[in-house]
Amino acid sequence: MTTNTPAVDVQTTPAAPPRENYLNCSKGFKSWALSLDHKRIGIMYLVGVSIAFLCGGLFALLVRLHLWEPEGMLFTNVEYNQIFTLHGAFMVFLFVIPAIPGSLGNIVMPLMVGAKDVALPKLNLLSFYLWLIGAVLAVLAIVLGGFDTGWTFYAPYSLYTDRAVVTIGLAIFILGFSSIFTGLNFIVTVHKLRAPGMTWFRMPLFVWAIYATAILQVLATPVLGITVLLVAFERLYNIGIFDPRLGGDPVLFEHFFWFYSHPAVYIMVLPAFGIISELVSVHSRKPLFGYKLIAFSSIAIAVISFLVWGHHMFTSGQSTYAMFAFSFLTFFVAIPTAIKEFSWVATVWRGSVALNSPMLYTLAFLVIFAIGGLTGVILGALNVDLHLHDTYFVVAHFHYVMMGSIALAFFAGLHHWWPKMFGVMYNEFQAKIACGIIFVGFNLTFLPQFVMGSRGMPRRYATYVPEYAPYHQASTIGAMILGSGVALMVYYLIASLLIRKTAKENQWGGVTLEWIAPTPPPHLNFDHEPKVVHEVYDYSTLDYDSMQRDCK
Amino acid sequence: MINYLIQDPIKDAPPWAETPATSIDEWGQLPVQAGNFDHVDGLFYFTYAVCIVFFVIITAVLLYSVVAHRRKTWDQKPLSNVTHNTPLEVVWTVVPLIIVMIMFAWGFKGSLDMTTVPHEAQLNTYKASAKQWAWQFTYPNGTQGVGEVYVEIGKPVQFILESSDVLHAFYAPSMRVKRDIVPGRYSSVWFTPTKMGVFHLFCAEYCGDNHSRMYARLRVVDSTTMDDEPWNQVPTAEDPIEDRVAYGATLARQLCSSCHKMKATDVVNTGPSWLGMYSKEGDEYIGRQREVIEAGVTKTITTDDAYIIESIRNPTAKIVAEEPYRKGAMSKFESLDDGRIACLIAYMKSLADN
Repeated sequence: MTTNTPAVDVQTTPAAPPRENYLNCSKGFKSWALSLDHKRIGIMYLVGVSIAFLCGGLFALLVRLHLWEPEGMLFTNVEYNQIFTLHGAFMVFLFVIPAIPGSLGNIVMPLMVGAKDVALPKLNLLSFYLWLIGAVLAVLAIVLGGFDTGWTFYAPYSLYTDRAVVTIGLAIFILGFSSIFTGLNFIVTVHKLRAPGMTWFRMPLFVWAIYATAILQVLATPVLGITVLLVAFERLYNIGIFDPRLGGDPVLFEHFFWFYSHPAVYIMVLPAFGIISELVSVHSRKPLFGYKLIAFSSIAIAVISFLVWGHHMFTSGQSTYAMFAFSFLTFFVAIPTAIKEFSWVATVWRGSVALNSPMLYTLAFLVIFAIGGLTGVILGALNVDLHLHDTYFVVAHFHYVMMGSIALAFFAGLHHWWPKMFGVMYNEFQAKIACGIIFVGFNLTFLPQFVMGSRGMPRRYATYVPEYAPYHQASTIGAMILGSGVALMVYYLIASLLIRKTAKENQWGGVTLEWIAPTPPPHLNFDHEPKVVHEVYDYSTLDYDSMQRDCK
Repeated sequence: MINYLIQDPIKDAPPWAETPATSIDEWGQLPVQAGNFDHVDGLFYFTYAVCIVFFVIITAVLLYSVVAHRRKTWDQKPLSNVTHNTPLEVVWTVVPLIIVMIMFAWGFKGSLDMTTVPHEAQLNTYKASAKQWAWQFTYPNGTQGVGEVYVEIGKPVQFILESSDVLHAFYAPSMRVKRDIVPGRYSSVWFTPTKMGVFHLFCAEYCGDNHSRMYARLRVVDSTTMDDEPWNQVPTAEDPIEDRVAYGATLARQLCSSCHKMKATDVVNTGPSWLGMYSKEGDEYIGRQREVIEAGVTKTITTDDAYIIESIRNPTAKIVAEEPYRKGAMSKFESLDDGRIACLIAYMKSLADN
């Protein structure tokens, strides 16, 4: 049993060919376009949603630039209305809803449960192509005259406006099916393809979050599909569901719309919670505080989220009893959300806190989400909401959740799993700088919006009363800073693919199954079928010796 | 004078040009309270304070952990592996629960107050008619105004809200009231003005192209001013013609100038221009010949006094057939009495070319 030293030398010689992985196992356009590999589909989603995000961001910058002056700097009112609508529709339907499940969920979740792929790989590819068709239709709608209804498509304005509402409605209908199929696929995967030994309570919390999200996607999205279909029928055939001139009820549209769109908020935010749960644990090298409570709170949020849609309609004139119930349940949903935040902070507490870029994005999330969540409590109070509803206070609140929390969690996850996905590391220094710029820019953009909102600035205004100008200008400066931070991030991430600085096998010292898979994973994810023998987040199993070898 | 329907927002003065900036209240976050719903401010600042306390606690703990427990060597192990602390978890579940239930009860009680219209307010009922993109108000005594409304200080007032096209929302930030206006149903808001001044009245529900221009001034005045407003003393046929023309001009600015051109420099063209509505021959004013659509049929008529009166009270009876007027977008001014309409016609005739 003497060690054969030369043999080791042969293994480490640079001439050794790179091991086969999912990125280099086959080549050519078709090998990607028709790939059934969840990782390749996830990469295609990643490219798609990133482009949608950059487009949506560009629209946001145009909106902010326009609002530099009270009378508007760039556009007519009609043009402005189209641009803010495009910003909302692109960000919500093409980015925030599909981003985390479609890209990171697709790539990481099957690895985390120790599966070779998702349960229904062909359905997975179909989901992506439905997303792509939806995106193409959304762009087509811009060409066909745009749409100026706001992303909420409130009737009856959406019925009367002479713009391409039917086209964008069709896009949303199709995007809805993309979302439903993804959800269905993930539910089956989590139920059927977990590795031996992975009990429900050994699942990483990202998997829990994706699972809760998937349930919401399957149950809530059909309502959106039906609603946009009814709007299209109403426009084409005047059937009189929502149009008051035909005896329809515009408030019914609001109920239908928010019955989907409130759970949709959690479709968007639960995967973000999942990412943060993973990251605080790995980068604090500490098991997650209150694992079961967090898992259950995800499910609790998923259930309660179906029963709070009316809080978007406190001013619409629903009955007092409805207001009572919706306000009560809205406050109630604050509790599981608060438990999550506290548990994350408690996980960092007395941990071994690595201040690398994924953790910096995570910390930025924790601060921003605290503000986003707490201001939601202010809006839950009925009488206060009557003052704040449809003002910039609401705009700031949901941007703290949508952009500040969800997008930042997406960035955090992207930085965390980037070395696993591509086998390369980005420039950590630039990443930390970008995170700082994004954090400062984000807060400068949206904190002033809270102030002007509580002072009475209504949202969706192309021109405004001059007393709000200082807040708008601060916000615009912030948006430019935020935009430059995102630009820097895009730059160094793309640069990392060209420079190809090889990442470590286990870059951050994670113990969930995706870190046991080779980096980048082979086509079928694992060399041997993994067996789970430890509790999740058990860092005592961390192999410091192999990590040290990795470091050298 | 301001045009409320903006044709070219870049060239025209904004509708709020004459409204002074609303000051901030003493706590620095809300517009100055000019109504009676103090509980909105109370709960807002209470919740605000609670949020700041929680935020400071969360960030302080986070910041301390990050600084104090920072990983200094790559293989540093955590100081503890604790994953549960039942007392702590009970505290951070129960304490927020109690706090949010207080907020819920406080907010619900307040909203009941805001949606229950007291009897005094019902006796002082205004109508606010919203349409793309202007506000029209009808006072309890039947007079009407566009883009501006007077309410009396200390007197509870109710606004019955109606929309003739899409969703709008009545939003007076200084009064803390907001209510959606749904076409096809009535809704209402009420408040008691407690502070004199001019305040913003916005449309808060997105309603299309000029949503941000759908604005009105909410003037809180004392009872003497209410009584002295010019439209409360209508000149009669006995008064000199100049008085009637002057009154008609004031009324026209209130009611009509947002759609009808009255001066050569006006840019509005939503309704037919008043210039040259009549022509003067000697001492006679002659109406002009116009193509109108009556019940779908196009015919030529003389637009005389009788036509003007009918068109004010029932604008869609005979619609001018030219573009862009043939849409027939004018609101009905049913409650304008004969005296006022006579003054409007006197003013209209004063615009006739000789």
